[in-house]
Amino acid sequence: MKYVILKKNKLDEFIVNLSKQKKVMAPVSKGYNNYAFEEVTRGGQIALKYIPTILPPKKYFMPQYETVVEYDTKDGKQNMEAIVEYDEMILFGVHTCDLAGIQSLNVVFSDRPKDLNYIIRKNKIILIGLECNDYCDEHASCKLVNNELPNGGYDLFFTDLGDFFLVHVNTWEGENLISLTKVFEPADDIHMKKREKLRAKKREIFKNEVKINPDQIPDLFDRSHNSKVWYKLGERCLSCGNCTNVCPTCHCFDVEDEINLDLKTGKRIRIWDSCQHESFAKVAGGENFRRKAAGRQRHRYFRKFKYPVDKFSRYFCTGCGRCSRTCMADIRLKETLDDLIKESI
Amino acid sequence: MNKPKVAFFDFACCEGCQLQVANLGEQLLDILGVIDVVEFREVMSEKWNKEYDVAIIEGSITTPHAVDRIKKIRKRSKVLIAYGSCATIGGINGMKNNFELDEIREHVYPDNAKHFPTIPTMAVDQVVKVDYYVNGCPIYPPEFLKVIKAVLKGIPYAVPDKAVCAECKLNENVCMYEKGVICLGPVTKAGCNSWCINNGNICYGCRGVVTNPQEQAQNDIMVKYKISLDLMLNKMNMYNKCREIDKDE
Amino acid sequence: MKREIIRNSEFEVKKGRIVSTRQMTKIEKFFEIALADEEPLGHDPGQFVEVSLFGVGEAPISIASSPTKRGTFDLCVRAVGKFTNALHKLKEGDEVGIRGPFGKGFPVQTLEGNDLLILAGGLGIVPLRSLIDYVRANRRDFGKVTILLGCRTPKDMLFGDEVDEWNKRLDVNFSCTFDKADPEWSGNVGVITSLIPGVNLDPEHTYAVVVGPPIMYKFVIKELLAKMIPDTHIILSLERHMKCGIGKCGHCQIQGIFCCQDGPVFKYSELKNIKGAI
Repeated sequence: MKYVILKKNKLDEFIVNLSKQKKVMAPVSKGYNNYAFEEVTRGGQIALKYIPTILPPKKYFMPQYETVVEYDTKDGKQNMEAIVEYDEMILFGVHTCDLAGIQSLNVVFSDRPKDLNYIIRKNKIILIGLECNDYCDEHASCKLVNNELPNGGYDLFFTDLGDFFLVHVNTWEGENLISLTKVFEPADDIHMKKREKLRAKKREIFKNEVKINPDQIPDLFDRSHNSKVWYKLGERCLSCGNCTNVCPTCHCFDVEDEINLDLKTGKRIRIWDSCQHESFAKVAGGENFRRKAAGRQRHRYFRKFKYPVDKFSRYFCTGCGRCSRTCMADIRLKETLDDLIKESI
Repeated sequence: MNKPKVAFFDFACCEGCQLQVANLGEQLLDILGVIDVVEFREVMSEKWNKEYDVAIIEGSITTPHAVDRIKKIRKRSKVLIAYGSCATIGGINGMKNNFELDEIREHVYPDNAKHFPTIPTMAVDQVVKVDYYVNGCPIYPPEFLKVIKAVLKGIPYAVPDKAVCAECKLNENVCMYEKGVICLGPVTKAGCNSWCINNGNICYGCRGVVTNPQEQAQNDIMVKYKISLDLMLNKMNMYNKCREIDKDE
Repeated sequence: MKREIIRNSEFEVKKGRIVSTRQMTKIEKFFEIALADEEPLGHDPGQFVEVSLFGVGEAPISIASSPTKRGTFDLCVRAVGKFTNALHKLKEGDEVGIRGPFGKGFPVQTLEGNDLLILAGGLGIVPLRSLIDYVRANRRDFGKVTILLGCRTPKDMLFGDEVDEWNKRLDVNFSCTFDKADPEWSGNVGVITSLIPGVNLDPEHTYAVVVGPPIMYKFVIKELLAKMIPDTHIILSLERHMKCGIGKCGHCQIQGIFCCQDGPVFKYSELKNIKGAI
């Protein structure tokens, strides 16, 4: 285990140095307590204290608009090349919930049959995590899913300890950044103790946000398939798809062809889709297998707390709270879980 | 292969959508490379007396004469595209339908009113069959291109039937409601890539209302943000008044 | 932005050449397709392929022929939307893209040595033809074979000439019914479920294989259970929107199941507790 420190007044130098090597993406303020990952070149542009960004960093791992095939149909042929497009980049300031989100996507796209576009792109992205010293707001439920502390998934991990960051160097790529940027200093016992103190304090702050033993969640969902809770959500849901778009683990997609004006060449693109949209589960013949918003909301929750637990032994809720924060209809994840619990007693 | 004969027509409108087409720049040249424009009042005086492969209609139908004219165009056209809010949903011309016809006619043409017969504003598809829609006020140029390509390829184009919010969120705009401003994004059909909101404006609903606006949920939201039904309807009717014609039927 | 060509991408399509076509009904068309160098598709009966036309899109289509047919495979496509309408415009010699085969087909190894009760409703005959042809090619490996066919009207019937042949064969029991008959039809009239009570079967040694429109399953399964066929012996194929074929895009998901990978063929015992499946 290797630790170094970065004095806060060297952050700018670090970012400037990094951005000379690759694109650096970090959380920036958009006003109204909204944040987004955007390209930065200076430390000062970064919002170090931020609540989860509007879109999670999944936008870099599975872009909203992704070319997967380039084709040419001249002379009636179906000629094609499968391709991947990517930017090499460094993501700075990724919270532990979002690191967990990326790990979930890794699991899905590495599961056979593997999605090579995703896998190739993910290996072009260096991840620098940033610890949350306190809750971002009332929507977070990170302790419920044990994401208030890092569970790997990063190259470097920053902990803000006042006038310096303690940095855990987790990978060789991370190590490389340390030696290339030359702004880090060795960490000693005093630094480590400061982090221990923070972690002790965090144990006091972060308590399971929902009144259930997390191990019992899949069982709760097993019993809740016909719950009234879903029907109530269905009445309130706008079916706008915001909750899934902002979710760090939602990864449903659609595939479309984009034709050039020659009508012969073009590309096949993958775009984000949402199971909350009314036509998502409709087949060409007209049958719609999730016609009602209630069924679609239930599906979304089961895809966070039940199906992935059965299949991958992990929750696909990272506790980031984005779905609750973004919902105009005030559908709140913690409330939904509370309602299910109340009903099941 | 012969290039398809394409004609542009305008009815009651500001011709702003034609301007969008003219402003396509280099892409317009590409389009002109694959189609043969045979009528386009704005840029040429020639007329075409045979069948149109594609008729592109701007503007809404507001007079008996316009009804005849659009029916004739429809008969002569293999494919008909309605483009712009006026043509696709009636658009702001629909505000006329808030008033008595005679009253409004006399207001506009005081002494000559009797020479200007008028009817309630209608979208093109409330009079003739429309094959393709390019919604928006004005049209969103990338969508216009998409539709043109679909027409040339002979495949249908489906206007997205989800809310503008879905695209707005992908653009990471701060929600207008968080800024304390009323926006019609939640009820309006997407496909514009939340063009207005990306540029700091609100959504005025120019692309028409989604097929299933989840009314209960919309009501909840109006209550939450303390918006009266009157105010909301007022805002919606700016572009969507003509929708009432379909409801009456 | 950097760009790399990927080999073995799941989005890669193989070229398929249309060897022959035949308009079967007003809305259904038959396509016989060969991959380059007549490479075998390598499918099991009941699997599907994603057929692709660049510029239009892709759609999941059931394979209508048995793997015992060499060199080419068959599709039968109903024109219902943008993609299938475009496909219908193609003719002999044209190219299509093919991905797959995908999913789990009919469990022929399990079926071997047993009696088969095959129930086809409407378009369900298409995937079942891959099984029926497989069974015919390996007839002695199976016990008694009964085929029940249900169609809206005689005009809607697919593979009529082949159906006639099944009807004539002594090693296949065949019955057919139409929802609505026309004057020339003197046989059964009614829905397919009406044929089940009359079938003489040994439930312990019979597997029922059912494919049809979603609405059909509920009723047919009820009749089959009444015949004492165990739920592990009822095999069915589900229709969902199988978009990517690789269990990722989410469109075909039923609860935790991805139809494109875990299905489309299931035992009823696997589905009966999955709400929304049937």
